[in-house]
Amino acid sequence: MVRFYRAASSVSRRALMAGAASAFAVAALAGTAAQAQDAGLGTPEAPVEVRMIANEAFANQWQTLMVPEFNKHYPNIKVVIDGVPYVELLAKSMLDATGPSPTYDIIIADDPWVPQLAEVGALMDLKSAEVAGWTAADYDWADFNAAPLAAGEWKGVQYGVPLRSNMLMMFVNKAHYEKAGVPLPTPAITWQEYLEQAPKLVQDMDGDGKIDAWAIDTYFVREPLTPTIWQTIMNSNGGRLLDDNGKPAFNNEIGIAALETHKKLLEFAPTGAVSHGFSESLQAFRQGLVATMFQWGSVFKGSAIDPKTTTLKPEQVGIQVLPVGSTGPGAHRGIWNGTVSSKSEKKQAAWTVIQWLSSKQGEAWHSATLGVFPARKSTLSSTPAEPWLVPVFDALQQAYNAAEKGQMWRIRHPRSDAAQQILADEVARAMAGQVSAAEALQVAAEKIEKVLN
Amino acid sequence: MSMTTATGARTARPRASARLADAVSRWAFMAPSAIILAAMLAYPIFYTVQISFARFDLMTFSAVEWVGWDNYRHVLDDYRFWSSLRVTAIYLAFALPLQIVLGFGIAFLINADWRGRGTVRALFIIPMVVAPVVAGGIWRMILDPLWGIVNWLIGLAGFGPLDWFGDPNLAMAAIVIIDTWRWTPFVVLIATAALLALPRDIFEAAEIDGANWWSMLWSITLPLLVPIIAATFVVRWLGAVKMFDIALAATYGGPGGATNVINLFIYEEAFRSLRFAESAAMAVIVLILTMILTGIFLVGSRALEQRN
Repeated sequence: MVRFYRAASSVSRRALMAGAASAFAVAALAGTAAQAQDAGLGTPEAPVEVRMIANEAFANQWQTLMVPEFNKHYPNIKVVIDGVPYVELLAKSMLDATGPSPTYDIIIADDPWVPQLAEVGALMDLKSAEVAGWTAADYDWADFNAAPLAAGEWKGVQYGVPLRSNMLMMFVNKAHYEKAGVPLPTPAITWQEYLEQAPKLVQDMDGDGKIDAWAIDTYFVREPLTPTIWQTIMNSNGGRLLDDNGKPAFNNEIGIAALETHKKLLEFAPTGAVSHGFSESLQAFRQGLVATMFQWGSVFKGSAIDPKTTTLKPEQVGIQVLPVGSTGPGAHRGIWNGTVSSKSEKKQAAWTVIQWLSSKQGEAWHSATLGVFPARKSTLSSTPAEPWLVPVFDALQQAYNAAEKGQMWRIRHPRSDAAQQILADEVARAMAGQVSAAEALQVAAEKIEKVLN
Repeated sequence: MSMTTATGARTARPRASARLADAVSRWAFMAPSAIILAAMLAYPIFYTVQISFARFDLMTFSAVEWVGWDNYRHVLDDYRFWSSLRVTAIYLAFALPLQIVLGFGIAFLINADWRGRGTVRALFIIPMVVAPVVAGGIWRMILDPLWGIVNWLIGLAGFGPLDWFGDPNLAMAAIVIIDTWRWTPFVVLIATAALLALPRDIFEAAEIDGANWWSMLWSITLPLLVPIIAATFVVRWLGAVKMFDIALAATYGGPGGATNVINLFIYEEAFRSLRFAESAAMAVIVLILTMILTGIFLVGSRALEQRN
């Protein structure tokens, strides 16, 4: 087997070298011709079609609402969006982008995926001279908040722009606080104060003598986003995931205390909350079962405004940053980045789509019409189209500032998903009481160090 | 003598060519399916084996460098792999016997002549056609501690809510229940067909001899069904060992890793962590283990057949 493999690999090495030489020559020729051969922005007679791969959670909404709006400005660019379940999106994007002729011109990449896609050469530098020639003069890069823009950057190159900016926020059901006689939380509330209030918020709301309301619901289940809650607590107390050398730095007193705090939240959460994640906690909050929820800010409209999806009234729901630790309030970044495939033959049209959506004009439309959170300072400081967006924008700006200060985002590395899965496994073991917080973080640190090296 | 030999040689030649033509025509008929099988079955297996001994390059999405047993060493050093194997063994130990006993028991009951058994048989097929992810999702709602109907019924009986997905033992029980709900009808179908195929004369003779219902079940039906039960067990074993979608939809492998069956772990390592080489190594180990155990079950099944 070994001999066969060596023989096969020696042949394939020669073949590879020859192949690589020809590929280099072809690529060089193609590269010089690329600009001329790019499909451009299309014409009424010959429109250009760009394909986008995106999370199915919002792909359909974009296809039916965003694309017609975009086409009012660029009628000759046809945009086809394929929605893919979140758990399959990275693998499918990688598989497609590394193929010889990718299907997708635009890849919508989650916050930690840009390094992975960039490392395999799948993405285009959006600040390159070529792209600069296709960029509108009034496209203001400096107007982006630093934290969301940094999600699309890797090793000093800007591969993506923020299209759907999300932050982990604290949602408040004010009725529960009033019923319990507990003062409403402000952005200055500390973790200690929050945990002191929590037992009072586990209460009987309807007066039948049974507990039917709890203080908190959030991510506790075994899944990759659950460690973001622990990480936010840790970051707001000055802890970090990795040190400056890229080694795990969370296996210390701050990290352990943060994980114990995350686990302690279970004491004030509904029965069965250890198996709760995004959907379950959202459902509990929208049905008025919990006083607070740590959740992605983008669910605000569906939780407070839209009567089709929530039992709560707009005036009943508050939104703010997570409680304050020793170094400041907590938040966690979750940005969907618009990126252009480096192998696309329709780069100009692809960039035009995401350029418009991330422009001041596109972002204002996106925010006002679909309730999507903006990343631009100008949008956040402007008067929003809807009154309910005013407190949301305030909280969002605070969250951006907190995230930037405390580096509140997931590991940025070509193998970040493997590291995040390890964190998910170990945090879940601690949550289920199978191991102590210290043991879970010890194992996670050892495994992540191996994975990242 | 020489004439006889010459005649023999003359007849032998046409026979040999007829045999050759026969073999060629047989292979010609077999070739398309053999080629398709090789392409669809053998190639992915060999490719998986190749990846398991290589470094997997995400840039080219292919195996690029021979690394020997490194991936296997990584896997065998990972406590999560062993934990997943243990979880899978627990799930199989409970789910398979339960499905076989329930399946044959239900088949025996609906084999009796009673009104409406045709409708019941038809209804039994429904769980089999429900997609596993949908089944997992529906059962997650049914067993939900806050909103689920099961806990509501338990509450009516005066018992506290059960944390079906928060307690490690109950979470495993939930997986076994969901899998049993899905696959028992399959066993029922096989068992019903087997019961209908049993020779009636033996039962008539036993009835004449004065055997009661229990004697006939214990001394005739069950011994005759043993080979079918063994074969059904092997078929279900091969299906159950691959299960991961129900766990993915219902428990996400939790709490902790209490329901993280081996195929869910392999899936997560491959498609979430993008560790394709390590996942391939795990898949190969599981394949070998499955082949060994299936071989043992087949030998046991043959021994049971011969005993009868």
